[in-house]
Amino acid sequence: MFLQYFSPHPLARAVNRGMLDYWQILSAIALVVGVVGVARTNLMGLIAGKDRINRLTVLAGVMAMPILAWLWGTTAGSPFVWMFEYVQMPMQATVFALLAFFVASASFRGFRARNAQATVLLVSATIILMSRLSFGEGFLSQFQWIGDWMRDNPSMAARRAILIGIGLGSLTTSLRVLLGVERTWLGGSK
Amino acid sequence: MDWGTLVAGLLTFAVFSFLYRDNPAYKWAESLLIGVSIGYTLVIAWTSTVSAMIIDPLSSGRWGVIVPLAVGLMLFGRFFPQTRSWSRIPIAVIIGSGAGAAIPAMLDARILNQMSPTVAPLWGNGLVASFGAIVLLSGVLSTLAYFYFSRERTGWFGAVASTGTWFLMIFFGTTFGYTVMSRVSTFIGRMEFVLGDFLHIIHQ
Amino acid sequence: MTDLRIRRWIFLGLAVIVVLTMLVPVTTKVTVSPYTQRMYDYIDSLPAHSVVMVSFDHDASSQPEIRPLSLCLLRHAFSRGLKMAGVSFQSEGTVIGYRMIEQTAKEFGREYGVDYVYLGFRPQLQAAILQLGESIRGLYAQDYFGTPLDSIPMLVGIDSLAQIAVVLSIADANNTTHWMEYGKARFNVPIIAGVTASMVTSYDPYLSSGQLSAMVGGLRGAAEYERLLNRHGAGQRGMLAQSATHLYLIALILTGNFIFLRARRGKK
Repeated sequence: MFLQYFSPHPLARAVNRGMLDYWQILSAIALVVGVVGVARTNLMGLIAGKDRINRLTVLAGVMAMPILAWLWGTTAGSPFVWMFEYVQMPMQATVFALLAFFVASASFRGFRARNAQATVLLVSATIILMSRLSFGEGFLSQFQWIGDWMRDNPSMAARRAILIGIGLGSLTTSLRVLLGVERTWLGGSK
Repeated sequence: MDWGTLVAGLLTFAVFSFLYRDNPAYKWAESLLIGVSIGYTLVIAWTSTVSAMIIDPLSSGRWGVIVPLAVGLMLFGRFFPQTRSWSRIPIAVIIGSGAGAAIPAMLDARILNQMSPTVAPLWGNGLVASFGAIVLLSGVLSTLAYFYFSRERTGWFGAVASTGTWFLMIFFGTTFGYTVMSRVSTFIGRMEFVLGDFLHIIHQ
Repeated sequence: MTDLRIRRWIFLGLAVIVVLTMLVPVTTKVTVSPYTQRMYDYIDSLPAHSVVMVSFDHDASSQPEIRPLSLCLLRHAFSRGLKMAGVSFQSEGTVIGYRMIEQTAKEFGREYGVDYVYLGFRPQLQAAILQLGESIRGLYAQDYFGTPLDSIPMLVGIDSLAQIAVVLSIADANNTTHWMEYGKARFNVPIIAGVTASMVTSYDPYLSSGQLSAMVGGLRGAAEYERLLNRHGAGQRGMLAQSATHLYLIALILTGNFIFLRARRGKK
């Protein structure tokens, strides 16, 4: 995968395409393995008698979707898409929406100006919140300008440094994996 | 109101009930969500990839996919203690491919392409632009110094690294502000559904 | 007052503010930011009949926030006569993307196969992008409905990222980063992005360096874009509630810190 950047030879290109196919096929099978793992865990929990109703619900959902897709397909208007649009999507979005409340709670209870640095964090957050108000132009447009400047300069500088650091770290970790030095992905040192 | 909106509305309230306290309705809704989303992922993975990239080629006589299929099936070995070690082979292929492809990508996108715009003229484009360029350069260098843990933070290096802390605080504050905006927007979107489509109190 | 009761009052306050502001039929005026204007100008500058690859790289949890923005971008692109090829590298984005591209195409009377096509989901984003750069047919032999790509009129002569005018990544996480690392870096295809607000600061360095040609973020971005399109939508409808909520959160931060500092002074 690394060498494919260096050779336009047809053989290299063919090997590259083959590897990319392998990578995707293995990832797809890994998805299926993950699903089987969850189903297995819930089935074992069901047999053991723990939290039966909820485990049964999980298994029913896991089985219902493939059956619906097999019988009626996955196009618009099918029961499969209906389940996604009216069961999965609303619940998933609502679970995420709960975070707004916890952010509000954290704003009151967690964000304390304990020291100068925490104060800078709070002031930055407050400026950004003020800059995103939409009550027209005038006094608030100053906050918009300050917020945009903060985003384009000091905030971006820190993020850029973090990206460079992550890039260097990923580079070294990838090299360590390829050279066999890094073996934590094996789940041990064997 | 159609059945879909009714079901979606009731499930939405079941999830919101968690805000008062954890309860059986929320737990059941959560279980349903887990089951349906796993089933959905299985269908999409099967129809889009397993069927399209394995079954269709095999049925049209392209036997080359037997090899990745055989290697992929080794992943199921993790469910049995005697065959658990077999699953390391496909994991090795996935991780090795990712690591190999990542090297030039990281080098280009995250290192070189991020370093070059940092090296920009510090004057000549007006006072505001010059101030911004100085802030940018000093921010990148001091934050990088902050993350360099192989040297003791004393003297000039300590001063530079602690300057990086201030830039990081501004970044975290800015990110928090935008994250708050994001979460609030998601809640507003759900309320638009509840008040509009479900309860018909507002009209869009 | 116990912690739990304070928390519940805070939750109730947030809910009341959002509900009350949503009941008020007032649209606040949003100022269009340079970032949104840049995205609008970019899409506007694309020649008609250019092929845009839209990558639906988000899941259902961010739908309420990103849907208004996605609709704006798709509507603008269709109104400019651009051809859309939809893909998804996140399983949930598959059905979301399909429904969204179909809905907006119908609004503009666009025909499937001629003006837009939906290719569907493939796993492993990095591998998929690298394959798209070599050959689209190498990754997708058929579209989402099983039609061979060779029989789709829109894709005649289009077989790699080199023939794609721009990739529009609609994302709620790091998937756009992979588009830049593999698509832009390797194949030099321009990338533009519509992201959730929480990802905006993560992508700012890429926008500044030119790796991202344009980016719009969040519900506020959608409201600004709706203003440019002269269209009233969910973005603008949500702005009063969002502004009121921001003021509520600022009040909470200030109140919490006032109580904290007073208690600290009392201890001293």
